[in-house]
Amino acid sequence: MRDDRGTLPATKLRHRSAIRRRAVPYVFVGPALLLLLAFGVLPIVVAGFVSLTDLDIAGLANRDNVSFVGLENYRTLLSDGDFWRSIRVTLAFIVIGVPAIIAISLAIAFGLAQGTNRWFRALRTFYFLPAITAIVAISLVWGLLYNTQFGLLNYLLDSVGLPKVNWLSDPTVAKFSVGIVAVWRATGLNSIIFLAAIQNIPQEYYDAAALDGAGEWQKFRYVTFPLLRFALMFVTVTTLIAWLQFFDEPFVLTDGGPVGATTSVSLFIYREGFSRNQFGYASAGTVALFCLILVVTATQLRLFRRNDAS
Amino acid sequence: MPRSGTKSRRRFVIGVIMTIGALLTAFPFVWMITTSFKPLREARTYPPTVLPDEATWESYVTLFRDLEFGRYLTNTIIVVVVGFVGLAFMAMAGYGFARYRFVGKNVMFLVVLATLMIPVQVTLIPSYLILNKIGLTGTVVGIAVPTLVSAFGIFLFRQFMETLPDEVFEAARLDGAGEFRIFYSIVLPLSKPILAVQTILTFIAGWNSFLWPLVIAGKQENYTLSVGLALLNQQQSVNPPLQMAGASLMVIPTILIFVALQRFVVAGFTMSGLK
Amino acid sequence: MNIRLKHTGAALLAAALVLTACGGDDDDAGPAEPAASDEATATDTTDDTTPESTGDDTAEPSDDQPDLAGTTLTFWIMGDNSGAFEELVAPFTDETGIEVDVEAIPWENVNDRLTTAVASGDGPDVTQIGLSLLPTFLAGEALMDVSGMVADYPNLADSNFPSGVSQAALNPEGTVASFPWVSDTRVLFYRSDVLSEAGYDAPPATWDEIHEVAAALAERGGDEYGYYIPQWDAPLPISYVWQAGGDVIDDTGAIDLQTPEFEAAVDHYLAFHDQGVVPVNSDFDQALGFITGAAPMLVSGPYLEGAIRDQAPELDGAWGVTTVPAGVDNTSLFAGSNVGVWANSEHPEAALELINFLADPQTQLAWYEAVNELPAVTGALDELKAGDSETVSVYADQLANSRLLPLHPQWDAVGSEILNTLNSIALTGADRDTALADLYAAVESMTG
Repeated sequence: MRDDRGTLPATKLRHRSAIRRRAVPYVFVGPALLLLLAFGVLPIVVAGFVSLTDLDIAGLANRDNVSFVGLENYRTLLSDGDFWRSIRVTLAFIVIGVPAIIAISLAIAFGLAQGTNRWFRALRTFYFLPAITAIVAISLVWGLLYNTQFGLLNYLLDSVGLPKVNWLSDPTVAKFSVGIVAVWRATGLNSIIFLAAIQNIPQEYYDAAALDGAGEWQKFRYVTFPLLRFALMFVTVTTLIAWLQFFDEPFVLTDGGPVGATTSVSLFIYREGFSRNQFGYASAGTVALFCLILVVTATQLRLFRRNDAS
Repeated sequence: MPRSGTKSRRRFVIGVIMTIGALLTAFPFVWMITTSFKPLREARTYPPTVLPDEATWESYVTLFRDLEFGRYLTNTIIVVVVGFVGLAFMAMAGYGFARYRFVGKNVMFLVVLATLMIPVQVTLIPSYLILNKIGLTGTVVGIAVPTLVSAFGIFLFRQFMETLPDEVFEAARLDGAGEFRIFYSIVLPLSKPILAVQTILTFIAGWNSFLWPLVIAGKQENYTLSVGLALLNQQQSVNPPLQMAGASLMVIPTILIFVALQRFVVAGFTMSGLK
Repeated sequence: MNIRLKHTGAALLAAALVLTACGGDDDDAGPAEPAASDEATATDTTDDTTPESTGDDTAEPSDDQPDLAGTTLTFWIMGDNSGAFEELVAPFTDETGIEVDVEAIPWENVNDRLTTAVASGDGPDVTQIGLSLLPTFLAGEALMDVSGMVADYPNLADSNFPSGVSQAALNPEGTVASFPWVSDTRVLFYRSDVLSEAGYDAPPATWDEIHEVAAALAERGGDEYGYYIPQWDAPLPISYVWQAGGDVIDDTGAIDLQTPEFEAAVDHYLAFHDQGVVPVNSDFDQALGFITGAAPMLVSGPYLEGAIRDQAPELDGAWGVTTVPAGVDNTSLFAGSNVGVWANSEHPEAALELINFLADPQTQLAWYEAVNELPAVTGALDELKAGDSETVSVYADQLANSRLLPLHPQWDAVGSEILNTLNSIALTGADRDTALADLYAAVESMTG
């Protein structure tokens, strides 16, 4: 960070231009910040208020129908078995999903970093493709592949003599089916981030390590890994936030089913609140999720910082 | 040189593995495109055919002739174009956070990061009311506004612009260039890689937008491709070729954009100091 | 830093309050007192023109018959029939000069549109209302009470509609907020060829028979089943309760599931699963399953007929429909859609003109021709029944013995709770009695 201080000859001008100069950064960050406040922060604040009321669709139409209920929504939430189930489901996704995404993205990034010719560059597009596809299109394509009656996957199983699988109807299998699509979607962007970080490491470091007689593994352990620190932290934090807000894939593929097996916390909030218009209750769920994400992220950043210090 | 021999052999093996992986990753898209050319009956036969026996353009014709996909396409392009205003705002904000010290900076940056943590469904009604207040509901511009800037984008711009060398700025100031002039004629040209990354991300966000177009549109003629595609999704009986044709229509342009810009993309992330 | 954070917070709170306050009441999203109805009773018929209002205020109807030509109405249609609807109303526009802007909304997203429209008071003029969503529309005060105006529109008289959807049945509050537009019911579809191959020359007519036939058909093994139960179909178990001779609403209008009839319905539902005669994959395509014979019997609506005729014309004569198998009686679900005037529409008269046109038997028949959605007007139904279509007369018979789902504000939540409970027993092996006890407790706490 630097302080930019031009020097101005005319003292008369100094005062006015100082004010103007002080305003400069605000002009730069202003527009974006206003939009974020309006559409990012304000809704959180509104949700905080609404979570203390019993707002529903009748309340939206007419404010006489809204009453203040204090922490009632939060009490209901904590005793709601479905809410706890959605927490468990989300945790299951995180435990499998976060390491899977990081490992696969890293592997792809290392693979792509091996070559710089046109072919390797062309491969990037293939890996990046799922990350940039509309979720509506993705749900249709995968729904077709997973289809039990005429889907390709069951045909492949069938043709090698294996029994057909109910990809989206068996509670255990459905978790994996939905998880696979999520991992498939998430690796693209993360691979690119890792690839960029890998290509950022100066060749001299490796040469120096080689002179010291380091093998491949040691090069990775002592050169690559430490220098990927920031990228790793960045990807871990954003991936974890994404899983905590996990919504799209189960929403379009299974609608949270079968029998709640793929209902994540976000989807639970959506179902209970926003599809049944219990906005007070849904906002309580939202605030709870927001706090959870905040705590998890802060903890992660602290862990990374502690590691950095050591 | 035996050493380079093993090296190039290793590279070849990795290349083969990566190619197989790439084909697997991209396979659903291949399936999507081939299915879009199948007649309905063939798309639902068992066993499924890989290539259509009798390829037909029928589904694509239906999309444009009977289902107004031409109009949805136009709207989607408008949303994307408006999205680029957001790109400018994000670049400016990234620059502001990267190169200046000012009162409230840390709080503001925390605000930016906090917005990463809120699920989108929650913002629906408050955001709608805000847009309604400023009279943007029922316009294609209004569709783009709520997602115009993203915390992720601002963060990447900031990371990148912190790495720009100070000398550049010194020299420009000595020449008496104003702050905005510096930003426009020096910083932006130097930021090509990160602009490429953000161009792709902005394009994708606009191109794929679904929830806002649906809610804000106010008229069907303001719908975007995603919404049109959702209208094809029927619970009772599916028409896979028609759906896949719609999906292909959405996916192919994103592929083209990425191919066109991809050589900048890695560079963009590289220089944004994610190391 | 801390102090500053507090300030920012306070400013945000203030902003939020201002915004929510504004959002709430300075537009006309308020109570749905139709500006029109209080004066409409006084209308008499002389010709005069009221200029079309474009202001923020609701148009006050004059004491004269307004000239509506030049008015533009927005119409929300659910699903993807907007093209057909535009064709349907073209003659109406020619005759009255009232333009109709049609907007299609995907079924899954109706609620998103509804809530944002209610929140902002900014909706269409006329909207289609799926009957399952009617309680939500009523609770959101999204519909205008037109009881004072309806007398001028002959097609909207209660006597034109089946008793199952009389105004009294549709409006628990005693208002007149919507009118039946298309009707839909569930009947038993069966593959006569598959049944006769198994030795059954007539479709099952009772609960016992359908279990017997389904079991026999499932004997074919492999991917061949006897019956099909959609896992997303919340109304199905409720129609079983009616067929058992019971109800889910008690005399006081409260939801009551703890009855022997409800248990009988549960066991009827579960028996199909216990015998393994139904597919358990949630993405089973019923049209395809019926056509291939994998699911040779299922309970579905007229749209399935359209799909079969479309996709497998060669099956003609190999399948039929009949009223649903009876427990104590053979009641089925009355589904379909109504149309209503939006609470703060500025053109209530033009809107009612349009609804009156939609309720005209000829329009109803034209719509049936176009998209295979059954009429809701008795006159049009009778005309169809007099025709030579066997399927239509079955639908009409079934409509005469069909009921609406409870118009209870909590029903949607309760209905999906019931469905989840049944699925958890049938698909994941939860214990029946425990699951039902949990269900009863959950419903108690929901409806308080």
